[in-house]
Amino acid sequence: MPQRLFEPTDAAGVAAVLQSAAADRLAVTVRGGGTKSPTQGPAEVVLSTTRLTAAVDHVAGDLVATAPAGATLDAVNTVLQRERQWLPLDPPRSSRATIGGIIATNDSGPRRHRHGTPRDLIIGIEIALVNGRTAKAGGRVVKNVAGYDLSKLLCGSLGSLAVITSATFKLSPLAPHSQTLVATVTSIRQLGDLALAVAAVPVAPTAIELQSSPHRLLIRFETTEQSARRQTELVSAICVKHGATCAVVSGRAEADAWRAHEARIFGADGTILKVAVLPTDVADVLDRISTMAAERSVEHDVIGRAALGIILLRISGDLSAQSAIVTELRLDATARRGTAVLLSAPAALQHDVGRWGPATDAAPLMRAVKQQFDPQNTLNPGVGVWES
Amino acid sequence: MNHGFLLELAHVVGPDSLFTDASDVLTYESDALVHLRATPAAVVLPQSTSQVQQVVRLCRREGVPFVARGHGTGLSGGALPVENGVVIGLSRMNRVLDIDIPNLRAVVEPGVTNLEITKHVAPFGCYYAPDPSSQVVCSIGGNIAENSGGAHCLKYGFTVHHVLGVEAVLPDGELVHLGGAVLDAPGPDLLGVLVGSEGTLAIVTKATVRLLRRPDKVLTLLAGFHSIDAAGEAVSAIIANGIVPAAVEMMDRLTIDAAEAAVHPNFPKTDAVLIVELDGPESEVDELFAVVESLCRESGASTMEVARDQAQRERIWKGRKAAFAAMGRVSPNYYVQDGVVPRTKLPEVLRRIRALEERSGLRIGNVFHAGDGNLHPLICYDEAIPGQAAHAEQVAGEILTYCIEAGGAITGEHGVGMDKRAYMPQMFSADDLDTMQLVRCAFDPSGSCNPGKVFPTPRLCGEVPGPYRAHPVEQAGLAERF
Repeated sequence: MPQRLFEPTDAAGVAAVLQSAAADRLAVTVRGGGTKSPTQGPAEVVLSTTRLTAAVDHVAGDLVATAPAGATLDAVNTVLQRERQWLPLDPPRSSRATIGGIIATNDSGPRRHRHGTPRDLIIGIEIALVNGRTAKAGGRVVKNVAGYDLSKLLCGSLGSLAVITSATFKLSPLAPHSQTLVATVTSIRQLGDLALAVAAVPVAPTAIELQSSPHRLLIRFETTEQSARRQTELVSAICVKHGATCAVVSGRAEADAWRAHEARIFGADGTILKVAVLPTDVADVLDRISTMAAERSVEHDVIGRAALGIILLRISGDLSAQSAIVTELRLDATARRGTAVLLSAPAALQHDVGRWGPATDAAPLMRAVKQQFDPQNTLNPGVGVWES
Repeated sequence: MNHGFLLELAHVVGPDSLFTDASDVLTYESDALVHLRATPAAVVLPQSTSQVQQVVRLCRREGVPFVARGHGTGLSGGALPVENGVVIGLSRMNRVLDIDIPNLRAVVEPGVTNLEITKHVAPFGCYYAPDPSSQVVCSIGGNIAENSGGAHCLKYGFTVHHVLGVEAVLPDGELVHLGGAVLDAPGPDLLGVLVGSEGTLAIVTKATVRLLRRPDKVLTLLAGFHSIDAAGEAVSAIIANGIVPAAVEMMDRLTIDAAEAAVHPNFPKTDAVLIVELDGPESEVDELFAVVESLCRESGASTMEVARDQAQRERIWKGRKAAFAAMGRVSPNYYVQDGVVPRTKLPEVLRRIRALEERSGLRIGNVFHAGDGNLHPLICYDEAIPGQAAHAEQVAGEILTYCIEAGGAITGEHGVGMDKRAYMPQMFSADDLDTMQLVRCAFDPSGSCNPGKVFPTPRLCGEVPGPYRAHPVEQAGLAERF
């Protein structure tokens, strides 16, 4: 059947499309900015949220804002910065990534170290359901425990339960100053150890990010200029003690450094694997990645939230070598109670190793939630981790 | 109650951990919202996850509803038993199972108290951030059920931000693990919706929590103002200057007097006091604290005291945290309300409360988390005077209406429980409530886990969504049917 594209402009319009599709038993692919790799081809009906672009409702005095699902993160932050505030998320491709897509994937970036992920910032949500209704949960106040928090449920749901039409977030003030300490070490293993040492210093960085190679930690401070300098000094001393070479960047050079950092993984072709382990396991995992990639002569790049245990690996080249690496890293991560999930991969590789890895005892419960919200499996069929 | 069923319960938990006599179950007839009471058929105090599973399975087999209970400090009747049901008390599951300082994690059983976690990790320079006023006695299991906050949640968030994973027994007795010590468990955030579900979805038997390192520096300011409005202006100025304090608390004259009588915190004799606490790296705190002091001065602070050490800080916080209990010094009885308004609407809502006080003839004390708009009006009454208790409850209800009209919420931290079910339709539409209950139906299709709480009308699970209704937009020709 040919695909049909719908671009509703409000929540009621989204609900109408969903209800009609469900009634006709057609599957619907929900699409935001298209910055994440789809796991399968589009369904008969494609619902784009990009025209859900009502004005951002920003109440600076309350440090909250409501944004439509179709707005890009950059567009929202352009509005918020007029009052020197921002929605403190920095996922990749923020000029195209939409609010709805960022929530549905619970996506974030380096500054997750300080600010968390969408689920930590969202305080209210409006959704459209396949039964043709719209519903809201939470509200516009930061503190609120009335009713079930559906806004959290939608985080990471990959558009499989309902379509997000707008969301309310708590915001942060923009810091008066930013600077980044770049600490270079000689072995990849040291990155994990140094990150733990830095995390134990009484400072408050917004990011402790690793990249390799060269093997570097990028430690960002966003506060007053005086405090950023002082904190940088304290951390530099620790880095030097660990044998690192230090440099500090700010202004345009800093922005360039962070852009280049993101581009290592998201600005090039290849398979992207996200490995999550305990922070104390990061050094071992990095070591393993480096050894395996060398043994199999696979081109690779690594970044990650060093002190949180999140590693993003990009590999390219021979598919069987990639498959072996993913399989081995997944076994290793699983043994460490962690996960290794494909964020982006050629269809053949995804077919070969699967996107998620081993199922957990939460899968039946997730399936039950899906069954309640979407009994006919209309929305993004096949994307859920419970289907693996 | 079927005698065989009780014997089976006794067999699971041991005869010492089953209570059925009226005198024994009396303690469990209510939580801290004492005017709501119900008598359970039995109270069990399991000591392991496996015992919880077996009790839940027996209840399910017999069609008996059950209610999980922590230490009974809840203020919304969330742990109110179901008449003739079973109460599953988690107080004997109170072990700290693991502390992992390098990864800043701790694994605890649900009966561990909030403050105990901090006591265990304090020697390592760490703490557990959520700090509800009842933290000395309240349990982590209860905190998870209610998504408890505390004075410092403005900067650090709520329980949901500090619980990384749970082991839970589902209403059919199956065990499930949501989240964990490692971040980013794939799939929709079921943990995020379980936290704050008021014991209606599952019984948490183990929790992995995030620990924080003690901040480098903490500075606490106690400022006196001649009016609540002036103190409110100071808070607005602080936020407008891009400063997010660790805590901002405000008390009015009546609550200041009460606290003074009870715990002598030596608060200034002013119409309002503001407590502002900054924490973080020393360089940042020192610089921003000077800004906070000058903003308070500009807003008309008449007195300012800076706590330079732990003892001074503790005295100030004691005054604040004792505010509820201290009301007993100025009034025979009082009703604690919990509502939220957008912070910028605080002055307007406080004016309405003041007018209500005059109209009702009941004194109302105000103590609130000024940074996030969470109000705790304390309505004073005397139950010896016929009709006054009911009048106080009605006044408390009217305050909730003000919160809703200001765009706020009917509860910021005490929960809906039994107490506020009736107000839910003022905040949420029938479709909103119905959609929330889809989650309930997925977790607990038989409706046996803490039934009757949170929602005014339970949804029948497995209910067919009804015949196809043409959507209004479709009817209007704005969208087509395929």
